[in-house]
Amino acid sequence: MAGPKASSTAARPASSSSAGDSSAIQSLWRTYNDTTPSRLKLVDCFLVFLMLSGIAQFLYCILVTNFPFNAFLAGFGSCVGQFVLTASLRAQVNPENRAEFKEVSPERAFADFALGSIVLHFFVFNFLG
Amino acid sequence: MFRIWRVLLLVLSLAILSYARSSTGSSVLVVLDPSLSKDNYSIFFKGLEEQGYELTFRAPKDVAPAIIQDGIASFAHVILFTPETKTYAKDITPQSLVDLLSQNTNVILALGSKQTPLTSLASEFSLILPPPGTPLISHFPERDTPATVIPIPVSSSSPALTSGLAPVWYSGIPFALGNNPLLVPFLNAPAESFAADTTEDSGADALVDAAEKGGEGLWAGKDMSVVTGFQTVDGGRVLFVGGVELFNDEFAKKEVTKGVRSGNAQFAREMAAWTFQESLVLRIDDSAHHKVNETEPRDKYTTNDRIVYTTHISKYNPATNAWEPFSGLTDVQLEFTMLDPHIRTALPPVPSKPGEYSVTFRVPDRHGVFKFVVDYKRKGWTHLHSSTTVPVVPPRHDEYPRFLSAAWPYYVGAISTSAGFVLFSVLWLAGDDRDQRKKKGVKAE
Amino acid sequence: MLAYSLPSDISPSTYVNAASLVRIVALGLISAAAISSRLFAVINFESIIHEFDPWFNYRATKVLASEGFYEFWNWFDPTAWYPLGRVVGGTIYPGLMATSGVIYNLLHALNLPVDIRNICVLLAPGFSALTAWATYMFTKEMKDESAGLLAAAFIGIVPGYISRSVAGSYDNEAIAIFLLMFTFFAWIKALKTGSALFGTVAALFYFYMVAAWGGYAFITNMIPLHAFVLLLMGRYTSRLYVAYCSWYAIGTLSSMQVPFVGFQPVRTSEHMAALGIFGLLQIVAFAQLIRSHVSSKQFQDLLFVSVISAAGLGMAAMVLLTYKGWIAPWTGRFYSLWDTGYAKKYIPIIASVSEHQPTAWPSFFMDLHMLTFLFPFGVLALFRQLRDEHVFVIIYAVMGTYFAGVMVRLMLTLTPCVCVASAVGLSQLIDTFVDPREPDVEQEKEGGDAAPSKQAAKKEKNAAPITGVGAIDDIVSTLSGASSPEKDKSGKTKAGIFGLDTRMVVLFNTAAMLLFFVLHCTWVTSNAYSSPSVVLASTNPDGSQHIIDDFREAYYWLRMNTKEDAVVMSWWDYGYQIAGMADRVTLVDNNTWNNSTRLTAGCAAHIATVGKAMSSPEEIAYPILRKHDVNYVLVIFGGLIGYSGDDINKFLWMVRIAQGVWPDEIQEPNYFTPQGEYRVDDQASKAMRESLMYKMSYYRFAELFGGGQVMDRVRQQQLPKQSPTLDYLDEAFTSENWIVRIYQVKKEDSLGRDLKSANGFAQGKKRKRSKPPVKRRALA
Repeated sequence: MAGPKASSTAARPASSSSAGDSSAIQSLWRTYNDTTPSRLKLVDCFLVFLMLSGIAQFLYCILVTNFPFNAFLAGFGSCVGQFVLTASLRAQVNPENRAEFKEVSPERAFADFALGSIVLHFFVFNFLG
Repeated sequence: MFRIWRVLLLVLSLAILSYARSSTGSSVLVVLDPSLSKDNYSIFFKGLEEQGYELTFRAPKDVAPAIIQDGIASFAHVILFTPETKTYAKDITPQSLVDLLSQNTNVILALGSKQTPLTSLASEFSLILPPPGTPLISHFPERDTPATVIPIPVSSSSPALTSGLAPVWYSGIPFALGNNPLLVPFLNAPAESFAADTTEDSGADALVDAAEKGGEGLWAGKDMSVVTGFQTVDGGRVLFVGGVELFNDEFAKKEVTKGVRSGNAQFAREMAAWTFQESLVLRIDDSAHHKVNETEPRDKYTTNDRIVYTTHISKYNPATNAWEPFSGLTDVQLEFTMLDPHIRTALPPVPSKPGEYSVTFRVPDRHGVFKFVVDYKRKGWTHLHSSTTVPVVPPRHDEYPRFLSAAWPYYVGAISTSAGFVLFSVLWLAGDDRDQRKKKGVKAE
Repeated sequence: MLAYSLPSDISPSTYVNAASLVRIVALGLISAAAISSRLFAVINFESIIHEFDPWFNYRATKVLASEGFYEFWNWFDPTAWYPLGRVVGGTIYPGLMATSGVIYNLLHALNLPVDIRNICVLLAPGFSALTAWATYMFTKEMKDESAGLLAAAFIGIVPGYISRSVAGSYDNEAIAIFLLMFTFFAWIKALKTGSALFGTVAALFYFYMVAAWGGYAFITNMIPLHAFVLLLMGRYTSRLYVAYCSWYAIGTLSSMQVPFVGFQPVRTSEHMAALGIFGLLQIVAFAQLIRSHVSSKQFQDLLFVSVISAAGLGMAAMVLLTYKGWIAPWTGRFYSLWDTGYAKKYIPIIASVSEHQPTAWPSFFMDLHMLTFLFPFGVLALFRQLRDEHVFVIIYAVMGTYFAGVMVRLMLTLTPCVCVASAVGLSQLIDTFVDPREPDVEQEKEGGDAAPSKQAAKKEKNAAPITGVGAIDDIVSTLSGASSPEKDKSGKTKAGIFGLDTRMVVLFNTAAMLLFFVLHCTWVTSNAYSSPSVVLASTNPDGSQHIIDDFREAYYWLRMNTKEDAVVMSWWDYGYQIAGMADRVTLVDNNTWNNSTRLTAGCAAHIATVGKAMSSPEEIAYPILRKHDVNYVLVIFGGLIGYSGDDINKFLWMVRIAQGVWPDEIQEPNYFTPQGEYRVDDQASKAMRESLMYKMSYYRFAELFGGGQVMDRVRQQQLPKQSPTLDYLDEAFTSENWIVRIYQVKKEDSLGRDLKSANGFAQGKKRKRSKPPVKRRALA
């Protein structure tokens, strides 16, 4: 997704330019490493992978050709869709968010995630070719 | 020698024509003016009978036999030698004659300088007749006949007439041709002729009128026609002759120059042959279309297909009374039309197969309902028209190219996402017992 | 204190079970009412497809049922828009046909040989029962089950919805409203629970909706608007993120599977709002994530600024892309919703449709009756508690009202919202007056001197909000002795109604209003919305019904007496009916404004060509007819019996549309009198009198009156005693009441003359003498 990437690249150089904020980045990274359970880190790795894959396809579309536009939309949509589903899963299993998700237990969250992903992939492969 | 060659030619052509028959029937009704005698036209009529036509004679005022009865034509052909009749029986009117034509009856009409109901008929065919009482006059060439009896040379440009015909004696009126494309002029007046009301030029009112208007309004010159044919859209043929004397025995036997007989008899015979659908008669036997490597026609084609269109054309052979395949047309065209022709291509004859015309072409990239149109109109020849409708559809959903090489990054992306999802789920479910020290796994890109 | 006593020896589970039973029975009865009130047309006339558009849907469904799905998907119809043909597979919303096809195959698999026509006719009533259920589920999320039942009852019989879903009205709206309500229900459920499952369900039903109706753009913009308003109100939660993103990602990808929609979701302005909100949500979620890890205020401010700037950048990018044309701007009929004068000037085809005219006040009352004033009350009631889902209904109400005011057709999208809001309001009213608990008089006295009015006012304010828990549950818990949180919080009984008499008056009044509502709805349905416009009915002087069946008579004549590939030209209104009933090739049909955003140049030119042929003199129209291989021309003429929907009344639209393409040949002012009136009598202008439409309508009309005054009942004008003559057409058929007139196009004259002179000759007229054409040119 172009959105978060833009904001993160906008945030990072801007923050590193001001004094003391490079340490803010480091403290951010440290806080992140310490407070996040490893399950969530697994989710975050998957998220990063999806983001990179999406960016690669988008760049290919812009720079080289957008000829089979439906294939581009399918591939890119697959990355984006999987990304948001995974991000939703992360939000739902995060123990800090228990108050918000009264009716969705982590197991139910994963089941929802799996179902949504399967439906997504079904449409992706239908649209791809 | 010259004369012998001409005589031989005459005999030969007469022999060839002697057993000709029309392609549409052999019953002929001859309506003869009471003032004309049948015997004066015996060469013409006998010639027709020898070729196998059954002639029935009647006077204009006779009630029977009627040319059209209950809306159905009674005869295959009609000859109207009635240049001076002003009143006819009930069945012969200009409107009924036009009706006849729409039923594919062929008519030979002889006009004259008197005004009769037939003159209003002629203007429907976009023939412009001169004022009444102004026959064609020519003072050239020097001859001993009156100025109204004119020898007219026959040009060989029309395919209906054999070349080398002797000049023809003519007496009658000229007419100007309008711009109806269905007219087929056969014999034009000589360049030095004109229509006037007396042979003495000094007293001719028509000449005075025309001179006052700067020469306009004078029926004169080689653009005037004396024998013209007309082919209706449906195929019926009409012949307009400006004077009935063209057909009589006296002119047939008269000599044009010393020792050369006039070409009247043969000319009359050939004109009758054309009018009665013996010569220059074509038809399309059938037409077929199919995709290039197939034999059966389909009920719809896809855009960008290659199609073969074939048609068979026959010509009527009067000698054998049969239709024979004819490959002599070199300029037939095929149009592949949807409102406007999208493809217009030549339809050449196939060298090895007589009568077959074929072309291969690519269907345009546009879908719609197209027609194969063959529309062949040449002066003197039968009009050929054939139209076959066929829908052209866009490719089906599975006829597009499937796996495109330009899209492989997207294929890789989508497949890697699915693979990643499966791997992630496995890892997630495997680490489900709440205390983690999990390997992150290798993520392929 | 209780105003009336309730039995106290019944266990709570009995209450709950009894309540569920009552609910199920009530829903069943509502479904039965919904289905049966839509059957008036079937009972009065017969099981026939109504109107114009449904005939095409019916034909398409027949193809699907008889030849299978892939043939339907690839169907190219050579008999429509002759000779351009129509690629049906890519230019329709296949949801309706697919639904009928599935039902058909299911029934046949069960060995129930139901004819496809009956399935098509009865599909709309069946789905209206489902709509009632979907509305019940939706309103249950808003307030509680009793409001849901009220809403279901309202939408089951309200005329605004019935008008497009009677038996026989086989159009996209028949299933689209059900899908609309169910998608909204799934969205609200997803938002409330934060579950991706409901988000996926919402996306799937959204996909079904996209496949079914062009009005899916309403959902495409309503849900993002709701999300945006929630963001602005500061109510961003992870549940919103989960619900919206799962809906958007799966829903958009799936909506592009429909060939007719194609790439529109990423290329047109109507879909950009959803994409924009999606991006915005990502930014906001990311910001929230970062913020939870960082405490420094400075960093948070910086984050805030960078979020806003990223959002601004995104919007600027979108505007730039629209400006450069890569994203299509709002077009056609969607644009005409914002700029209401646009269509009349630029796209007269859209403006000419009667359903696209602005709504008049009487329509609101006729379609909604008492819901018209209950609706604002309900919306106001929703403001009291203002949970996330209430915001949605409020937005829906505002947007729906605006659109319903712009175009009559869009009353249909407003109707479910009106039913929901009115049900919530009315349900609250009934709850207040049914609740038997009376307030404690002592409580108010104890408040005493300090500020008795203020306390009472505060208590009223506490009591006013809608209880999330149902009133019945409240009573149950009271009776069973369990503590009720409401009462405990305020400490004492909330304010209420004293005595039975007030209650009886209000409840009786409400019951009477509901009864009137039912009567009104039934009356409107049976009289106004149940006529299959194919068959007209009028009353004889003695009161009996007189059926006017001219249309079917004429179409059947066409079917039986013309060649199978005969081409029929008529104005586009009747194209689908001719194709469906007469089974003949047509030149133009109703697919015009359906496709106004996708109108190819060929289609627009085709309609303009027909318009030109109708408004030109015969000599100019004839070559057009021959070029398009037209064999028959069909006109509708209502002057004999007073049918005002005939072609002479629509004639000016034909002229305008033709003028759009040939402005120098056809000018609209030419068809009016010099004083600017539209007349068909002896003062009619020359262009009018010579036009093909005028001649075809009034040909031989004067003969009917036997020499007396020739009266056109629709225009109320007197025609000249001499009927117009036709040279290029022959009259082929005129129906019993002269409503449908069919003319055959004459073949070209066999002598190559123009037909006017040929006719003159046939009647005995002589041509003028002419001179030989001049071949010489004068010297200068």
